[in-house]
Parts: sequence; structure tokens; C-alpha cells
Amino acid sequence: MNRTIAISMPLAATAAAGFLLAQTPAPAPRNAGKSQPEGTTNIGLYQRQPRAPTGPAPKLADGTPDLSGVWLGGGSNDSDISRGLKPGEQLVMLPWAADLLKTRKSEEDPEANCLPAGIPRGSPYPWRIAQTPGIYFILFEGNIHSYRQIFMDGRQHPDDPDPTWYGHSTGHWEGQTLVIDTVGFNDKFWFDYAGHPHTEKLHTVERYTRTDMGSMAIEVTIDDPGAYARPFTTAGRARLMAGTELLEYICQENNSDLGHLSGPARGPGGR
Amino acid sequence: MKQRFPGFAAAAAIGLALPAWAHHSGAAEFDSTKKIDLTGTVTKVEWTNPHAHFFMDVKDASGNVVNWNLELASPNVLIRNGWKRNSVKPGDVVTVTGSPAKDNSHLGIAQTIVFPDGHKLNFLSAFEDNP
Repeated sequence: MNRTIAISMPLAATAAAGFLLAQTPAPAPRNAGKSQPEGTTNIGLYQRQPRAPTGPAPKLADGTPDLSGVWLGGGSNDSDISRGLKPGEQLVMLPWAADLLKTRKSEEDPEANCLPAGIPRGSPYPWRIAQTPGIYFILFEGNIHSYRQIFMDGRQHPDDPDPTWYGHSTGHWEGQTLVIDTVGFNDKFWFDYAGHPHTEKLHTVERYTRTDMGSMAIEVTIDDPGAYARPFTTAGRARLMAGTELLEYICQENNSDLGHLSGPARGPGGR
Repeated sequence: MKQRFPGFAAAAAIGLALPAWAHHSGAAEFDSTKKIDLTGTVTKVEWTNPHAHFFMDVKDASGNVVNWNLELASPNVLIRNGWKRNSVKPGDVVTVTGSPAKDNSHLGIAQTIVFPDGHKLNFLSAFEDNP
């Protein structure tokens, strides 16, 4: 039986080890080889993707900002939400939440169980916004392969919404920024791989601003007096993936890893 | 068919670690301080989410055939990075390097897949330069 030497890991993979699937800031590309084809770029895990068209952010015929396209990335760090805060912000957990964070296990992560990421946790898979009269949809490739609906018709939140994974969302425009206000969450999803918790008191305000053709700034204010001492805001940026469409992603089909997971909750790269 | 396993060695100073690829913590499943180096015949491919897998018959040092389950990124990631659903197919003879599962099952992450003609794939991409 020959012994092998673990030093043979390529430098590219070493770089990848530090590349968590963070949504903030935009992840550094892996080494995609010596010959990056002309006109392509790396976006997150995806290599040799066509470069996004440049130019100003587009508008719909009525002047509303056009948020269409396939986007990658989101408004928070999905490995550890505390690493993706807007400058000057602080995340302060209540003692019970800090204690729970320390005890969470990888195999308990809803993400690992093919359950929704909730808000604001992102994923390494792209998503879309579909703008239709009175209602917008956010379509997720993963994880999970699901959608949110954002009511744009001026309605209010229900008085006593049933707690759900994505909550009840209403939206409006403030200048060039789409503002989405959401309440009515359940307490089941985690903010990140690390396991930051929340309660049904969670209230989020997301702000989406397409700053140019290929880039979207996203901020999310997290207000959960049940788990955090005060509100805090995350900041991140999504990038346009010009060369792809959403693909089917049915996480429940073959989630055979779950029985092999062990240890404390942590990010995909182990941190 | 050769099996060089367990080929356990200390993690290199450069910081041997597991690749990040989604869905769950790789460190919760695989032991990056251990290494597998397996050559065998592919018996089955599961081109499914959240991760693609292929299975491979490998002879151990005693001549017993062990069927290894080797994990890749999701098909969605692989497709966008140049893989096809038949890039690895039953009957292929390949050499796989990676890390084994922590629970000592015959499961591992296939970090590099080398074919007899020398072409290489990895767990995430058909584009990357491999070692």
C-alpha cells in the first residue's frame, strides 16, 4: 500500500479553500486555468462566463428601474452574517441566541436539509426578479428551488400572518431603489452556515439598487428584538450572469450527504 | 486496479483544506487531513442535485473489490463549468484523488479525476488546470 502525500493540493484549490460561498463581498474567482477565453470572466463558482454588458442600469417603458436578468450573490454573507455588515454596523446577540449559536450542528442546518434559506441568506445559485403589475417575484434556482412574492399594490401586511419561511412581503420604490418590507417569518431558518438564529419577531427591510447594467447593491436591515439587542444592516452586491438561465435544482432528489455530516455548524469551506 | 488508501498524511503547510461548493459544510463531511488516491472502473453515475456522485469499483490491498461513492459539486455548477452529464460514465477507468468522509464510509470527495489519456476534470470544473 503506497502512501500518498497531501501536499499535492493545487494552489488553485488552496485559493478555493478560502473562497467561502459568501455573498459579501463579491467572491474572489478561482483560478480557472491558464487560458481564460477572451470576453469571459469568473463569477462566484462559475468560470468562463460571458462578461456582463456594461452601461447604465436599464429602465422599463414606464421609467421604473428594470431589475431583470439572472443574478448571483445577495445582500449578506451566507457563511457568517456578522462578516457582511454595512460599515459601522454591529451585530449584538441576546445571551440565549449567542448560546444557541454555539451549540448548532452542521447536520441541523435547514440548508443541508434542503429547506429554504429564508431572508437574507443567499446561495451559490443564481436568481431572478420578475416584475409584473402589482406583484414582483423573486425566483431562486436554489437553495431551495422556490420563489418569493412581493406585493407592489399598496396593501399592508396582515395583522397576524401565519409564520412562514419567506414571510409576507410588500414592496415600493424609493427613487431607484426597490424596498421590500417583510414580516411573518417562522423561526426555523438560519441566517448563515454558522447558525445565527432569529425569532418570529423578525422584520426585514431589503433595499435593491441596480447601480449599472451588471451590478446590484443590496442592503438588508435585520430587526429582531427577540434575538438581537438592536437592528443591524448587512450590505452586499449581486452580479449579472449574462450567459446563463436558471436551471432546475431539486435538492430533495438525492440529499445523501446528510447522514455523513457531523460537527459544529460552519461554512462550506470549514470556517 | 490500484487502491492507495488510506494514504493519510499530515496537512501540508500551505493549508490543505476542502473546497467550498455549496449546500453544506464540506468540513462537516470530509476529512481534509486525509487523502484518497483510487483507480478503478466507474459503475454508476448519479447526475442529481444537490450533488452529483459517481461510484467506482476499486480493489483494496487484499484484492477485495470495494465500491466507492465519490462526490462532486452540483450538476448546476458542473454544467456551467464545462462538465457534461456523461463526462464520467460507467465503464470509464479513472484515477481519483480527494479526501474521504469522516465517518470512514467508502465515500469521498473527488477533487481530481484523471483519465488514461491524461485529460482531467475536478469536482467543480472541466476548465481548471489540474496538478
